[in-house]
Amino acid sequence: MIATIKAEWRKNRFRPAFLISSGLVAAVVVLVFMTNWYQATHPGQSDRPIPLAMLFPDQFVNDVMGAGFPLGAAMAIVLGAIVAGSEYSWGTLKTLFTQGPGRLTTWSGRIVVFTAWMAILSAILFAVGAACSVLIVTVNNHAIVWPAVADIAKGFGAMWLILTVNGMLGIAIAVLVRQSAAAIGIGVVYLLSIEIIAVRFIDGLNNGSYKWIGNLFLGQNATALIGHLSNAKGVTISAEQSLIVLFAWLAAMLVIAAGLQRVRDVT
Amino acid sequence: MENTTIVETHGLTKRYGSGVLAVDSVAMSVRRGEVYGFLGPNGAGKTTTLRMLVGLIRPTSGTATVAGHTPGDPHGLARVGSLIESSAFYPYLSGRANLRVVADLAGVDQKRVNEVLDVVELSSRAHRKFGTYSTGMKQRLGVAAALLKDPDLLILDEPTNGLDPQGMAEMRRLIKDIGQGNRTVLLSSHLLGEVEQICDRVGVISNGKLVRESTVQELIGEEGVLVRAQPLDKAEQMLATLFGNDAISRQDGALHLKVKPEQSSEINRRLVGAGIGVSELRPFERSLEEVFFQLTGERQGS
Ligand SMILES: Nc1ncnc2c1ncn2[C@@H]1O[C@H](COP(=O)(O)OP(=O)(O)OP(=O)(O)O)[C@@H](O)[C@H]1O
Ligand SMILES: [Mg+2]
Repeated sequence: MIATIKAEWRKNRFRPAFLISSGLVAAVVVLVFMTNWYQATHPGQSDRPIPLAMLFPDQFVNDVMGAGFPLGAAMAIVLGAIVAGSEYSWGTLKTLFTQGPGRLTTWSGRIVVFTAWMAILSAILFAVGAACSVLIVTVNNHAIVWPAVADIAKGFGAMWLILTVNGMLGIAIAVLVRQSAAAIGIGVVYLLSIEIIAVRFIDGLNNGSYKWIGNLFLGQNATALIGHLSNAKGVTISAEQSLIVLFAWLAAMLVIAAGLQRVRDVT
Repeated sequence: MENTTIVETHGLTKRYGSGVLAVDSVAMSVRRGEVYGFLGPNGAGKTTTLRMLVGLIRPTSGTATVAGHTPGDPHGLARVGSLIESSAFYPYLSGRANLRVVADLAGVDQKRVNEVLDVVELSSRAHRKFGTYSTGMKQRLGVAAALLKDPDLLILDEPTNGLDPQGMAEMRRLIKDIGQGNRTVLLSSHLLGEVEQICDRVGVISNGKLVRESTVQELIGEEGVLVRAQPLDKAEQMLATLFGNDAISRQDGALHLKVKPEQSSEINRRLVGAGIGVSELRPFERSLEEVFFQLTGERQGS
């Protein structure tokens, strides 16, 4: 297991896809802060005015989580699909699986390193978000006030969980279809559109008596978790449920992907 | 048993999901220390068999023992280095970095990386990205990776595929070197010359069936003498009385005699003495090619 983690880390640390996605999430956070800043200082041009204080350090966790879902999650799906799918297109799965460690051990190493990468991405999101908020508060001559450490930790944990679940969705789809391109397409379209349409449809059925099914979807619970942490109004799913459902998705994706890797022929 | 054979299969069969019966009841045995040639035309089932031996695919039925374990067992794999079909590595990593990844997985010391790079003479290009390698360099890196574990058994699937004549010659020399000592090499190929040059024993597979397994010498058969004479019928009759009907066969207007080449002069004397004109009389050896086409039913020159 240690050996496979080492190998996976060696493989992925300079991987262009990871470096590019790190840069992209950083850019997304900067973009979100800057556009909000512009809207906050030009209130007449927006129908949803944003108070400038929303962008100060004491609020930065909420801002970062807003950028992290769904944009960061989409990035995680893409990364997961690339990580798992490229092993098929390069044929490297056979190289991995003929070295000695069993398939599940090799697979576990990959998952550990991938979840570590999701933590790194979350850290980048938070660091860049904090920097942006400091910039804005300094330019506006206000004192820097940080959120409580516990709130930062909770937000970080939620971000990591949301990125990891979505990344695992990308991985599982890529393993299922044995390639990255189709997996990226399926995963991102699912996250940004199919799920939203499906939930809206299910929630509307029979005066909402199937809403509980709609409440089991991935994006619903990610949104709810973020909502709870940023004290948003109108969140119908409890924080506990959102955590349980997200972990259940994580486990399901893991088991499906691991099972397929374990039993399927590698040709 | 376990000390003399390193690969042993019984009724090994693979039917792919598509319904293709790629390997059909193969019983092969590879002895420790030999270079075994696994010979067969395109699509015969070589790669499929080798994939089963390293546990990449599951047999539909039958069993195999490789290095004392079932295929794919971590303990067995630790003793087996393989290059199946083409070499596959991460294109964005250098040759050396790729070997480091494999070394980590295989649990061998990183020092081995430079050693095997030297063995395949790739050290000077090891810093370049795998994606920029030529076919020959890729294959050599594949062999290097297979050697990392210092394996008891090396399984190479058509390692000279896609190489130019010089690259092929180098690869053969390399395999010969690697196969010295106690190491066993299982080499698949459809190139007869290759197998004839470097293998001790061969298994011939055709349409998924193992049609022959023997030493190269046995496969080629005993030596003989070829006779061209006028009139041929008279010569055939005469030689039949001397050596028996079984020892004579007629091919392409010549007589093939299963006798020792030393008897040539006597044959000549007798034929000439009987007034038969001898136009050609020489020892001959069946080429592996002839045997191969005979066994696999493949047409020559196709
Ligand atoms: N993944 C696969 N799915 C379905 N059929 C396959 C698969 N791989 C190989 N086959 C079929 O199995 C048969 C044997 O193929 P295999 O690759 O084992 O032959 P081979 O002896 O290695 O040939 P070559 O010399 O061309 O490499 C062929 O008919 C081939 O079409
Ligand atoms: Mg083949």
